[in-house]
Amino acid sequence: MALTPKSKFVDQYVDPVGKSVPRIEGRGIVTGQLKYVFDVQMANMLVGKMLRSPHPHARIISIDTSKAEALPGVKAIVTAQDTHQIKFGSNEYFFPHTVDQMALESLKVRYIGDELAAVAAVDEETADEALRLIDVKYEILPGVFEIEEAIKPGAPQIHESLNNIAVILPVNFGNPERLMKEADSVRESRFWCPVAHPSPMEPHVCVGQWETFTNKITLWSSSQAPFKCREALAKTLKMDLNDIRVIKMAVGGGFGGKLEMLPMDFAACLLSKKAGGLPVKICLTREEEFTTTRRKHGMIYKVKTGVKKDGTLLAITGEVLADGGAYCSYGPTVLAAAMMRIFMVYKIQHFRMTGYRVYTNNPISGAMRGFGGVQSGFAIESHMDLVAKDIGMDPIEFRLKNITEPNTVTVNKMILTTNGLKECIEKAVIASGWNQKRGKQKHLKRGIGIGIAADVMGSKMYKSHESAGAIVKVEEDGSVYLFTGAADTGQGSNTALSQIAAQALGVSFSRIKCKAGDTEITPFDTGSFASRVTFISGNAALLGGKDAKLQILEIVAKDNNLNIDDLDIRAEKVIFRKDNRVLMSFDKALELCYSFKYGKQIIGRGSYNPKTTPIDFRSGEGNVSGSYGFEAQIAEVEVDTDTGVVKVLELWDAHDIGKAINPQSVEGQIEGSLAMGIGYTFYEDLRFKNGRVLNANFAGYRVPRSIGLPKMNSLLVETDELEGPFGAKGMGEAALLPTAAAIANAVEDAIGVRIMELPITPDKIIKALKEQAM
Amino acid sequence: MEVNLTINKKPITLNLKGNETLLEVLRDHLSLTGTKTACQETECGTCTVMINGKATLSCITLAANVQGEEITSIEGLAQGDVLHPVQQAFIEYGSVQCGFCIPGMIMSSVALLEKNPTPTQEEIEYALDGNICRCAGYPKIFEAVREAGKKMKNGPNTKI
Repeated sequence: MALTPKSKFVDQYVDPVGKSVPRIEGRGIVTGQLKYVFDVQMANMLVGKMLRSPHPHARIISIDTSKAEALPGVKAIVTAQDTHQIKFGSNEYFFPHTVDQMALESLKVRYIGDELAAVAAVDEETADEALRLIDVKYEILPGVFEIEEAIKPGAPQIHESLNNIAVILPVNFGNPERLMKEADSVRESRFWCPVAHPSPMEPHVCVGQWETFTNKITLWSSSQAPFKCREALAKTLKMDLNDIRVIKMAVGGGFGGKLEMLPMDFAACLLSKKAGGLPVKICLTREEEFTTTRRKHGMIYKVKTGVKKDGTLLAITGEVLADGGAYCSYGPTVLAAAMMRIFMVYKIQHFRMTGYRVYTNNPISGAMRGFGGVQSGFAIESHMDLVAKDIGMDPIEFRLKNITEPNTVTVNKMILTTNGLKECIEKAVIASGWNQKRGKQKHLKRGIGIGIAADVMGSKMYKSHESAGAIVKVEEDGSVYLFTGAADTGQGSNTALSQIAAQALGVSFSRIKCKAGDTEITPFDTGSFASRVTFISGNAALLGGKDAKLQILEIVAKDNNLNIDDLDIRAEKVIFRKDNRVLMSFDKALELCYSFKYGKQIIGRGSYNPKTTPIDFRSGEGNVSGSYGFEAQIAEVEVDTDTGVVKVLELWDAHDIGKAINPQSVEGQIEGSLAMGIGYTFYEDLRFKNGRVLNANFAGYRVPRSIGLPKMNSLLVETDELEGPFGAKGMGEAALLPTAAAIANAVEDAIGVRIMELPITPDKIIKALKEQAM
Repeated sequence: MEVNLTINKKPITLNLKGNETLLEVLRDHLSLTGTKTACQETECGTCTVMINGKATLSCITLAANVQGEEITSIEGLAQGDVLHPVQQAFIEYGSVQCGFCIPGMIMSSVALLEKNPTPTQEEIEYALDGNICRCAGYPKIFEAVREAGKKMKNGPNTKI
């Protein structure tokens, strides 16, 4: 035996699944040693900056870079002429015509911030001066900024599509018109869901390096989806996938905003090439972050329902108009998700809704945590309370009557296996004291309200497959590497996936080191979105761990003349399956693998693609996810009717997470989502005038801070999903979906006032109270 | 100009133009990149360091103005290999998510607890209100601050 075995670690987190193992990165984070792209410093690194349009809509007549090029210290300038002029987008698989953005535009600009050129210089001052010296001549075009203006005939045309409608998505099932006639009560609502911004604390930042002689690109990127970024770079730069290495370092938050390649990633590489291979760092300012990175879609959400007196939901129709801004990004699928999430939540056979993804000269809308579900969560769950009220039914009773059930297939062919929605509602009702409070605290101006939601665990949004891979490599000394393509952006996936791999291999968590999100080293993974990582990447880690275990058992069985099927590795020991008798320690088994006699490398491999069917966007049919997660959320509020201030007293979130791989991380995700939901309910509202963002900083755009958050209760419901790794589902987004509605419903319970347009502000409450008094 | 600073108890002499912020000096001149920034205009708290025990935003502090003061950055909290109780508590109570705000959050917490190791919930909220955590891990941050305070009050050997 050559090396010291790692047995000293075996006592720590044996059987780690289900335990609150501290975050792998913990010590790095709290000491400041963990490196983000923001922290990358290299010798001779240049500062890159983007030249952006000051106009919301204009034709580009000319771009003259000669003065800037002559400025000492400027090392490279790139414009569209230096590119292949290939457009990029994020829905190319399902909606190829929505691939509509040039990394560097040469003909037309479509929003304030549109990129035309990029410079690299020795320092920031020089780069800024160079931007000022680039002379661009524009022909100003009239802009259009409101959804309903943009779709009028004769409105300024932003792209080629008719009436600025990039995508029309009809979702039709059954015969809702006929059922509406049979209904005892019909209700129609119109909601406004404002624009929120992901605004992660680490702004978008990248370092690009193009080794010119070997023609090899490396991009250090703060990305939620490094493989997606690589794919977009390869396509737009006409390179092979293995010419490009995207390295995801620690990511200072993403929340959907860092899912896509941005022009800055593309520009950093091109600038480096032009500068002879020097690394180029581009880091957005907070203002650029707010104005030029992807934001949540503002939506007008119209919904109409017909119900029977007994509460049976018969039919739903509606229309969703989404402000897409200048380019499509993930827009079409966000729109689809905003309409089709309801099938996971309510049993409905008759449904007709049409979505319109509308171009405007506002900044680009794309993915943000919740992916259409925050908007629909507010609209649908507010509406359902109105419906219940119409027929004099308790909102809980109404929901229990209409929610989906386990082991059912929805009208659009989603296969719901485990479904803890009913249990979630019941748990939240009991924990919150609903029956003692609902409608009984009006004298205190207190109210209680509910919202329910469901979420996917992955979604085939941009590719034909949505696979994840994992490699579990066991070293001679018993230490283990987990290589995963998954992108931990702070949710703790490196830790959770390591727990899964360790459990599958049968060893202690402390043996594992996780290497993630490096396109040259780690297996492919589509990225951190759609709450997919624990479920999909987790399954890959599970398979990788199991594969490594089998490789070890093969040697043990051979050497001991035993049948491999009779053996297993659990909690650091090789055991006999039938009676758990210990044959040898894990270290002994490994010693055997790496012995003179066998010399067998243990490299476990896992590849997982969820059992789904692609969505047919002409009908809305398709089982988009391998599993579905559910939740019920209850909010209790108190309203000051003099000032209009709504105070959230307490929140309860009961969540079907399948199985908590790491309960502490699950709670962290729930609490963070609830706080973000409170932000969206009360103050997260990116405002615009003629395409210009009016509140592009943390003073003007308020996000949740330490003061004013209520007590939050995470109630975990474990349904042991058969398809999930150790029973787990994903849960990064769902807790954010019904928060605004739960609060709005609680406000109505408290003071009888219904808010249809977010955010809920004191002036809206006062205005509504005045109207109520009239 | 020559600027003499005491950072994490070490005297450092730098040749500066004079308009550099403490943030720039820490990150760009000394490669102490534990201190982050997310806005560079006092709104996020990510760049918080301690000057003479007081939580201070390094993005608007001129380095030349804090000569002779005791400057502590996140790199100066641990004693050798032993983490500061606040650092330890942030790990144990799951207060870290993406981690980008955490160095600043920890500095604000230490500044609070050194003066007041048993803060009320309201005092914690006020002390940390300048530090944004976009992952919004606030409940677990509050818990860590409370527990670390107990340990600081009762001495370093207290088990939290």
